[in-house]
Amino acid sequence: MVTRESFRRVGACSWELPESYDERMQAPARIYAGKVLFERAFGDRSVEQLVNVAMLPGLVKYAMALPDMHQGYGFPIGGVAAFDYDKGIISPGGVGYDINCGVRMLTSRMDYEEVAPHMDALATALFRHCPSGVGGSGAVNLSWDELNAVLEEGSGWALKSGYATAEDVTRTESEGCLLQAQAAAVPDRAKARGRGQLGSLGSGNHFLEVDVVDEVYDVGTAECYGLRVGQVVVQIHCGSRGLGHEVCTQSLRQLQDAPQRYGIPIPDRELVAAPIASPEGQTYLAAMAAAANYAFANRQVLAHFVRLAFEEILAGKVPDWHLDQLYDVTHNIAKVEDHIVDGVRMRLVVHRKGATRAFPVGRPELPDVYRTTGQPVLVPGSMGTYSYVLAAEPASLELTLGSSCHGAGRRMSRRAATRAMRGESVRAQLKAQGVAVRAKGMRRLAEEAPLAYKDVSLVVESVVGAGIARKVARVRPVAVIKG
Amino acid sequence: MGRWQELDHTADLALHVWGRDLTDLFVAAASGMFSLLAGAAPAGAAVRFELHLAALDVESLLVDWLNELLYLCETRDLVATGFVLERLTPTELQAEVVGVPVAERRAHIKAATYHMLSVVAVEAGYETEVVFDV
Repeated sequence: MVTRESFRRVGACSWELPESYDERMQAPARIYAGKVLFERAFGDRSVEQLVNVAMLPGLVKYAMALPDMHQGYGFPIGGVAAFDYDKGIISPGGVGYDINCGVRMLTSRMDYEEVAPHMDALATALFRHCPSGVGGSGAVNLSWDELNAVLEEGSGWALKSGYATAEDVTRTESEGCLLQAQAAAVPDRAKARGRGQLGSLGSGNHFLEVDVVDEVYDVGTAECYGLRVGQVVVQIHCGSRGLGHEVCTQSLRQLQDAPQRYGIPIPDRELVAAPIASPEGQTYLAAMAAAANYAFANRQVLAHFVRLAFEEILAGKVPDWHLDQLYDVTHNIAKVEDHIVDGVRMRLVVHRKGATRAFPVGRPELPDVYRTTGQPVLVPGSMGTYSYVLAAEPASLELTLGSSCHGAGRRMSRRAATRAMRGESVRAQLKAQGVAVRAKGMRRLAEEAPLAYKDVSLVVESVVGAGIARKVARVRPVAVIKG
Repeated sequence: MGRWQELDHTADLALHVWGRDLTDLFVAAASGMFSLLAGAAPAGAAVRFELHLAALDVESLLVDWLNELLYLCETRDLVATGFVLERLTPTELQAEVVGVPVAERRAHIKAATYHMLSVVAVEAGYETEVVFDV
């Protein structure tokens, strides 16, 4: 069992396990965290899972984990692993079942005081406009042709169909469309699950939140991002719904014998992998990218519904109820990216599982508006606590291949959380804090209670301390919608 | 009769499952999985469906079995309550499943995973641990 003594400190917030720890390791393992979170990481099996990732062939730099790391299945959550496009592997377990689960932030032109008298009505309208819950069919009924267009065009389909503005699309990671996507690579069964779910939140830790900007740390960047103290913003957290789950399930199934056929040693069957360049690797890449596009379109349609709810409740009552998009980031994905590794330009497949891309100034992928600030990194906290907007710092490329944390990260199991508190008391507590809550089930409120998560501020201080990103603003919730 | 016990897992759900034989183990794993989703009142008459699956080995077959049940029940708004394994080898399965329609499910499981999955023969039969993504 790996212990903290096997790691050595290599920076204020970075810790390294040398490759020599286990002869099967292809590269060192790195954890980016302050001392407290580093030590807590050994409380579950996440570090063991990180070491397993370090054993996969073609791994470049390190198997990396961010301060919100916790135990997953296969890869740890909060993990990043990049593989050489020509010699490396791609692994569905490195992306997970909720392909392109991600977060979007919309900024309003209103102060909290203007919206406060209407907050209850707004929460109710958001809950009505944005379908949620288990199964949770969507409000958009897609024909098969339309679904194929969603899978290949992502946010581009939403723009064409009247659910997006051109600015929304520009301000989405990869402009809301991964070009490797092929609708034909997506199994029929996944399509059947996805056809009726576009524009739905789902359940689990997914949410929709109305927040107010509570503090601004970097005035210049905040101005560029369109953020100011007292302003109302919206966060949408969800992914590719049943379509993505089915793509992952089927891909894992199809790849079960690939490690043997290609001679890839794997320490855990959830880490099944195929060479990126192999037919199996390319098929997964095409299907995963299509599911990612579905998720981009899903968050875009939800953003449209959010705008409808704002209009319904606030039009005529406030001067300007419109919502602009700050950014949309994905945190469960494998991306084809070019990076400089030890002075050499390399094409990589970067797996980010519970990790957010954080590209600094100078990366060509950034939209013009963020060229001088770096990419916004959205870090939602647990329900009822703060969330942060960060900006990627130049060192992120060298440290983590341009990756940052994705949230607070769980610290308590769902079972322990439901034993520790009841949903009703969580709702009452949130209400006492002035947070309006709309939820499908009380149990989910207990599972997702703030107590079950790490302190997001500690997580953010760790990525700031490591030099990955800087703080721009903090927001606190005033209304929470949960599936 | 096979049995199961829920294990603590930081983010997801996990079950320790035992069975006197493979049939017991497969039934216990399915019953345990649906117990994690339970709590909804029945909203209609029970339906029966047949399943035929083939896989590389017993671990893959177990994951296929659980994921197939999740898929069929999610797309038909059912919770499975009865499992009759008419035929079971380490690589093939034929089963009749009874499902009850539910108006709304309380919880959601995205999938049964292969994480560190191993079906182990023990003195009393078989045991395994399954991690579910939720």
